[in-house]
Order: sequence, then structure tokens, then C-alpha cells
Amino acid sequence: MIISRRSVFTLAGLGIATAGLSACAGTGGSASQQQEGSGTLQFWSNHPGSSRDLEQKLIDAWNEANPDTPAELIDGGADYEELGQKFNAALAGGDLPDVIVASDVTWFNFAFTEATTPLDDLWAENDIDTSTYVETLLEDYNFEGKHYGVPYSRSTPLMYWYTADLEKACLPTDRGPQTWQEFAEEWGPKLKEATGKPALVVADGSNYLDWYFQGAFWTFGGAYSDEWDLKFTDPKTVEAGKFLQKMVQDGLVSVVKDSANDFGIGNASGLLESTGSLGGLKESAQGDFITTYLPGPKPGTTTGGAGLAIPAGISDERKAVAVKFIDFMTNTENTITFTQETGYMPVRSDAADVPEQAKYMEENPNAETAIRQLEENTKPQDFARVFVNGGGQAIGGALDKIVAGQDVEEVFSALQDELQATIDRDIKPNL
Amino acid sequence: MPNVVLLIVFTYRPLIDNIRLSFYNWNISSTRPATFVGLQNYIEWASNPVSWQIVWQTIIFTVVAVFGSMVIGLALALLLDRKLKGRNFVRSLIFAPYVISGAAIGVAFQFVFDPGYGLIQDLLGRVGMDSPDFYSSPGWALFMVTATYVWKNLGYTFVIYLAALQGLRKDLDEAAEIDRTPRARKFFRVTLPQLRPTTFFLSITVLLNSLQVFDIINVMTAGGPLGTSTTTLVFQVYQETFVNSRAGYGAAVATIMFLAVLVITVVQVRMQDKEN
Repeated sequence: MIISRRSVFTLAGLGIATAGLSACAGTGGSASQQQEGSGTLQFWSNHPGSSRDLEQKLIDAWNEANPDTPAELIDGGADYEELGQKFNAALAGGDLPDVIVASDVTWFNFAFTEATTPLDDLWAENDIDTSTYVETLLEDYNFEGKHYGVPYSRSTPLMYWYTADLEKACLPTDRGPQTWQEFAEEWGPKLKEATGKPALVVADGSNYLDWYFQGAFWTFGGAYSDEWDLKFTDPKTVEAGKFLQKMVQDGLVSVVKDSANDFGIGNASGLLESTGSLGGLKESAQGDFITTYLPGPKPGTTTGGAGLAIPAGISDERKAVAVKFIDFMTNTENTITFTQETGYMPVRSDAADVPEQAKYMEENPNAETAIRQLEENTKPQDFARVFVNGGGQAIGGALDKIVAGQDVEEVFSALQDELQATIDRDIKPNL
Repeated sequence: MPNVVLLIVFTYRPLIDNIRLSFYNWNISSTRPATFVGLQNYIEWASNPVSWQIVWQTIIFTVVAVFGSMVIGLALALLLDRKLKGRNFVRSLIFAPYVISGAAIGVAFQFVFDPGYGLIQDLLGRVGMDSPDFYSSPGWALFMVTATYVWKNLGYTFVIYLAALQGLRKDLDEAAEIDRTPRARKFFRVTLPQLRPTTFFLSITVLLNSLQVFDIINVMTAGGPLGTSTTTLVFQVYQETFVNSRAGYGAAVATIMFLAVLVITVVQVRMQDKEN
């Protein structure tokens, strides 16, 4: 085998060029061009709550009712982040979709950078009625008086408990621990002793530990941030971090990659997980379980999940169709269907008035927990997690380090420096 | 001439554009124009201790992947170069993972490594041992992605070595046999020197492939645990560009990577020239 020097350099060049940003066209200004579409609306989704078939069913219904403006379901990635990354790549030079699923941690960056379009004018021009959206969920997408999305697959974290394990540990089966202290002193040790398993399993930092545990920081008086003022070095935030570390070290809490699966196969008595996993757990859990609020004092948790948004760089005609499509996907009838199949919260307030939904809630108290918790036990997320680009992931990585036993003060101090640099560089100059 | 045009358009122009981008602060999702920041991205990268941790991880991953897949690939090629029953089936079996997508392999190997329900924990459990936590321990996580990559890449080195073994000079082999040269000595003095061009070719191609591994890492660990414990340079490029939307910074990391590979390749070529 003979290899020339030239061919080696070519190989090297080819290899590395692919690692670069070679395909990216231009630097900025992508939204100024108004892309015409192919005539078929492209809906990029990561199918939250394993909703692929359901989304396709809704799209089929749309296509039947709107044969002149058909829609197509496109896989946007395995999770919200992948979808955001794919959209980022499209913004840099690819074909833009008409509608995207934008999560709690991606919508703001897209709105802030004007990659997605404000919807208020589009609603007015196309006679879209937004009055029945659950107000707190719709207002989550408000930036400087304009809405950049509508709620779609919205969730809150819940606690799931195997009833049999609670009974074995002589714990109540109609509620969860009311405070984290109650969990640490009574629920955790009793469950561990009675079952020999960790009392609670939660996903790691790569899988939204930063979201699940955010409310716990509030119950300790701490926070990730107070608006743009970072709070990671606040003694109360540090105390909450140490609490998490101790719970893991004591074997009361287990932090794993796929917590819903771990709970599903019976490796833990309790699970801290999104309400969007309810549909899947009904099928996979090893026995009967209850869902409960997260421990207080209230508010003990937050909302999350995703909404639907429209790219700014598509033509006005495409935007007009897209806004109607979004309205259709989230209308009262469809939000009821979506809620019942996935476990996500209904995003229209009048859904509760529909007898079918009222009956469903009565028969499925586990699904009702999230809706009641939304009113009683939640508040909006901290800016540091949802508005700072990469903030959620950085906090998740830091919590992983704490779980692994690293010094809480040091980890949070480094995290504070990292996120402060991002705020100073990317956000403050543009606010 | 057409080849030159293709190279310019698809290799060198993007490369130059990438280097140009590395001097800008550009939010990839932003409509605002990028701002020129000079060497700021490079300074930030070099002064961040995490960057050096990532460099170290990239070196470990690459060295183990290159040596691991070459040594095991050669061993298997030597074994299956003989007339054994069912050797064609075994050859196909070894080569198959190479053509399977890295993402699919990443998903499948979670059933091997998962400390809760994976094959390894099951096997270790049978002899009373606990499985290492491949997802939360940085060292084990790096071992997991490296081992998975070596397994996937083995088919490539195996096939190339096998082809090379079949093209070796028979007269040298026969001479060694007549001289009753011990097997190990024959391998190191007769076989291995003849495989040198192949080894050189593989060392470059496997090195380049290893440096670009993304799918397995993304699926198995997403660069974690602890944020960056299995992040390699190419994963950092992706992370900064498409996750943190810092396209300029990502381009700077890609440029650093390009320069590093260029230096390594030049050294390898010089060494090869010298030996020739």
C-alpha cells in the first residue's frame, strides 16, 4: 500500500474540515431573508411524552380539514435540546421549518436572538382566540410584552410512589412528604429500611436534574438566580446543594441516567419526574402508584415542558398558516386528547369544562395532581436555568459534581463565574 | 482539474471560512451580525482549565482507540488468515459493527453497561460483585465510550490488515519456516515489517476517525458525566456551536483541532519518509 504525502494531507483536510462549521453560511442576518416553503407545512417535533403517533393523528386530522395547506411531521431530535440544536443548524443556512417545539430552556434564546417571531400580530391578523389558554402557561412565553410561543406539552415535576412500598414502610398513601426535611428524616429512612431500595430516584444532570431539583432550592430559601442576579454562592443555595449531596451519600436518593425506567423496573420506591412520564409509567410500572406534589414550603416546584413557536425567517404566508396550525394543535379538543395520552397538562382552561375531560380527571387522580399543583405549588423558573444559553446544562453538570461528592461551595462558585461570564457577554449588552 | 475544484469548494474554502469565523463572536441563532473579537476566543479557550481537561480526554480516547483497534484488529486478522472452519462467517461478524450507525451502537451498548440492568452488572452480580457506575464515574464513563468505539471500529482495522496479510511475500514466510524461526520472531521480523505501510495508513485514518467521534458519545453520555467527563474536542465544537450557540468559539476549537492534527500528520509523514 503506497501513500503519498499529498493524499495524507488531503485525508487530514477532509477529516478536519467536517469538524468545522463549514456548512454554515454567513454570520447573522439569517432571519432577514423570508424563506418560501414547499407548500407543505413542516412541523419539527421531538414527540414529547412519546407522542409521535398521536401527533401524526392530529396532523392527519389537520390535513383532512385543510387539504390546501397540508402539514408534515418531521423528527426534530430525541429531546428538546436536540431539536434546538437542529433548529440552530437550520438558522445557519438550512431550510427553516414552519413550526417548532421550543422548550423552557430554548424558547427564550430563540426569541432573544429574533430567530422566532412574536405571535401577537399574527393572532390578530388571523382571528386566533388566545383567551382560553391557561394564562400562567401562556405568559411563560412573554418577552418584552410579546408572546413568542404557545404552551403545548407543558408539565411540572411530580413525585411518583409505589403504594405497596409506602404501605410496607407504614407511610401515608394519600400524600407525599410535605417538606424535604420530612423526606430526609422520616420517608427516606423508613422506605429504605422497609424495601432495601433507595427511597427516591431522580435523573442526572444530563437529563434535567437541574429542573427537577430547582424547587428544592427554593424550599431552602435559595435559588439559582433572582432575575439576572446569580445566587449560587448564597448560603441557602449552598445548603440545598449539601442536602442533595447528603441524601445521595446516605442512599436515600439515587441519581441515574434514566430514572423513569429505574422506577419502572422497581429499583426505587419513589420517582421525581415530569408529569409527561405518567402515560408511559401507567404501562411500565411494577405496581400501583400515586403521584404527589413536590415537598414545600410552597412553591415547591415549577413548570416546564415545551411550547410551539414559529421561525422569524419564513414568509408571511407560511407564518399565517403556521399560526393557524398551532391553534389547531393546541385547541381544546386536541389538548384534551394530548393530555389523556401523555400525561402533560391541558393548556386550555376550558378543557376542564368538557365532560369527557372532567370524567377522565375524576377517574385518574394521578393526572389531576399536576393540574392542582400548577395552581398551588409552582412558580416560574429562575432566569439562570431558562434564559441563559446553556444555563440548564451547566447547572445540571454542577449538580452531577455535587452528587459525585465534590465540594459544594467550589462547584457552585465555578458555576457562578461561568454563567456570569455568559450573561455579561451574551445577554447584558443586548438587553 | 475537477478534483481540484471539488477540493477547493468542499474542503479548503470551508476550512478557511472556519478559521475566519474563529475570530468572531457569533450567536448562531441570532440575526444580529457577528462581532470581530480577534484572538479572544483562543485566549478564552486556552485560559479555561476545562479545555485542557478536554484535550487530555481527547488524547486518552484517541490513543486507546487507535492502538486498541489496531492491535486487536491485527490479532484477529492473523487468527482468521488461517484456514479455519466458518472463518468467513466470523470475518463478517467482526466487520459488521463497522457499518452499523454509531448512534445505534450507542443505544445498544447501554444495555451492556447500564449499572441498573445492563449485561455487565448482571454478569458481575452472578459472582457477587457490583458493577461500576459507568454513567456517573468519569473514568468508567470514558472507558465505556472508548471500549464501545474500539468494538465498532475493529472491523475496519481487521479487514485492512487481513487484506494486507494476504498480500505478503510467501517466499519470506517460507524462508523463515526453513530456518525454523520461532513464531514470535517471525511475526516481529518478517510479518510486521511488511505490514508497515498498512500500519501507517491505518494509524492516520483511525486517528482521524477517532478524533471525529460524536455519535457514540452523544448517545451514551452526552459528554458527561459531571458536565464534560467524556467530552472530546469535536464534541466540544458541537456543544459550543449548536448547544451554547457560540459558533465563533466553536470554530476556534475546530481550528485548534485542525492545527493539532496537521502537526501530528506531518510528523507521521516525516517519520515514514525517513524510514523509507
